[in-house]
Amino acid sequence: MTDGEHSVFLFPSTSGAIRAEKLTLQSGFKVKLIPVPRHLSSDCGLCLRCNSANVGAIRSLLETSSVEFEGISSV
Amino acid sequence: MAESERVTAIVDNDTAVANVTRMAEKEGYLAEVEEKEDGIFLHLSRAGRLPRTEVVGFASAQGAEGPLVVLIPSDGLGRGDDELGRILLRSFLHTLHEVEPLPGTIVFLNAGVKLTADDSLVLEDLQALEGRGVEILACGTCLGHFGLKERIAVGQVSNMYSIAETLLGAGKVVGL
Repeated sequence: MTDGEHSVFLFPSTSGAIRAEKLTLQSGFKVKLIPVPRHLSSDCGLCLRCNSANVGAIRSLLETSSVEFEGISSV
Repeated sequence: MAESERVTAIVDNDTAVANVTRMAEKEGYLAEVEEKEDGIFLHLSRAGRLPRTEVVGFASAQGAEGPLVVLIPSDGLGRGDDELGRILLRSFLHTLHEVEPLPGTIVFLNAGVKLTADDSLVLEDLQALEGRGVEILACGTCLGHFGLKERIAVGQVSNMYSIAETLLGAGKVVGL
């Protein structure tokens, strides 16, 4: 995942971040759980990084699966 | 070897070739490899060379007597929840790109060697660290135990002599 711009999904809980990673990986997205960048803040210290081009599809997947997230930011 | 000008070592596998060659070069020897029917002959000779300088990143920390070494003896960080531990360790390795100081060497032992295999979720992170000069050593015994010796995808297969020397020669060891 070195090409293109990245975005991160922020979550209210670690369990939500872990569930989001599993769901997105199962759906074939290239994602990575990383620490929340210092310039962002979140209730959970982990966030899900993805290619910005996939933000819409991942947002739909998480909403459909009832995985709550706090926000999305470009990084 | 310290008092000899020429030494021949006979080994039977590529990992041993790499380990002996690395040790010889550290001691200032040149290693020539000759493959024969009854083994791989390593001809080691003094060539007026100084011992190889340790390869460390430009921002690597140097302790009073050696580089900073990170020891990773499992595939998770901390105790309590294994899945969370694995995520925390992945998170730690990802963060090494962005913080100072960069370690000189990362040593993987026991289940930690799983992180150096071809299906590791931190492969890109480790390859990037290696590209910045961080030496990555994976315990060969441990790789063999987990059936991963043929699947190591980053770093070098190492043995307990090299690992012990690396830990004992470190300026500082950070054990996870």
